[in-house]
Amino acid sequence: MTGFIILGTFIGLIIVSFAAIVQKKLADSIILFMGVGLGSVVLFFIFKAPDVALTEAVIGVGISSLIFLMALKHLGEQK
Amino acid sequence: MSLKREIPTTTLSGFALSGLLVLTILSILLQNIPNKIQTAGNALLKLNTTEGVANAVTTVVVYFRGFDTLGEIAVLFIASLGIGLMLHSNTKCNIKAESNFMLQTASRLLFPIIMLFGTYVMIYGHLSPGGGFQGGVIIASGVLLLLISHKAFEVPHSVIVALETFAGVSYVLIGLIGLLVLDVFLGNFLPHDISQMGLLLSGGIIPLIYIIVGIKVGSEMSMIVQNLIKRDYDV
Amino acid sequence: MFEFLNQPEVIKIIVTIGSMILFFVGLFGLLTRKHIIKIFISIAIMESSIFLLFIGLTFKIDSIAPILDSAHKDVATMNDPIPHAMILTAIVIGMAVLALGVSFAIEYFKLTGKTDIDEMNEMRH
Repeated sequence: MTGFIILGTFIGLIIVSFAAIVQKKLADSIILFMGVGLGSVVLFFIFKAPDVALTEAVIGVGISSLIFLMALKHLGEQK
Repeated sequence: MSLKREIPTTTLSGFALSGLLVLTILSILLQNIPNKIQTAGNALLKLNTTEGVANAVTTVVVYFRGFDTLGEIAVLFIASLGIGLMLHSNTKCNIKAESNFMLQTASRLLFPIIMLFGTYVMIYGHLSPGGGFQGGVIIASGVLLLLISHKAFEVPHSVIVALETFAGVSYVLIGLIGLLVLDVFLGNFLPHDISQMGLLLSGGIIPLIYIIVGIKVGSEMSMIVQNLIKRDYDV
Repeated sequence: MFEFLNQPEVIKIIVTIGSMILFFVGLFGLLTRKHIIKIFISIAIMESSIFLLFIGLTFKIDSIAPILDSAHKDVATMNDPIPHAMILTAIVIGMAVLALGVSFAIEYFKLTGKTDIDEMNEMRH
């Protein structure tokens, strides 16, 4: 059962990350990047590493996505 | 008239990277890593019982690799310095319009709860998953909530400077006291009994250092967030 | 099929192939995209893939988290705590470098108004 969940989460991560870099608008790209961070947290939890999962959830999804969203606000919505 | 031809970079790089992908996968998988190797982690887990700290990852980060944590704090400081140099502005207004009444009330209710949770994660870092880095960033996200919902809120610059200075200097001072008492930089000079494992006051200097790291990281991330949000408006 | 997927060799193969494909997706985005923020997003995806590879290669099926208390004192079935500590440091430093890079991009846009890397050619003449 564990191996099946790992396989499914990896396939989902690859599809979401490929969609994040071929988008036309910048806002969609940033939201899909948050999905990569979320899938990463789920995988760290399955690998029985609670400290790393907590750190990735707070820093990877919270602060990294905030940095990109502030860049979007300052740069203006272009291509 | 120039004779430049359009090279399809996307397809070419796609093919080249697929070839590199197959080579990398094969080179990792063909190394015979046996399943029953004795790693250094087992020895460190057994050493953990002499320090009296329940969370093994905290002991490795703060005590066995304490010098690397000092270097990581230095890297964070330099990054915060660079961001403050680029994006600093002296205006007081950072959002244009006054926000909704529901948002203001809800953020005032949530802010103390977020601060309490961040302090709990920071202080109980040696007994359950958590620690200084996680707790500090949670505190910075509470400050972020107040920054985006109130029009003229800002954290005063002198408060952040005072907190960062205190935390950074006391980390090095604790290391030097350890050098004086035990001849080891960052040695454990407070009592750490094995019988106290699982209680709050256990492990010697390990919870003290993690609280100092948490204060420094929290104030630095608040400064980074505040510099990113403020903007010169032509109002 | 569930029993076949739970063997340690198969899990190692799945983790290696998955994280390497993620790394090369990020590398493809780094080489072919033109907007500078998309380049930073590709760098962040590449970093995430390496963290997954590191923690996934030391994973055994019947292991528990490396936290001792009165109920779990057996250190033979616990996970290895050293890769966890190294990845913690790496995540924080990756975020700091990304923040600095994005602030440079914002300041450059305020000065000249360009975000396409093909047009940033002030140093060429």
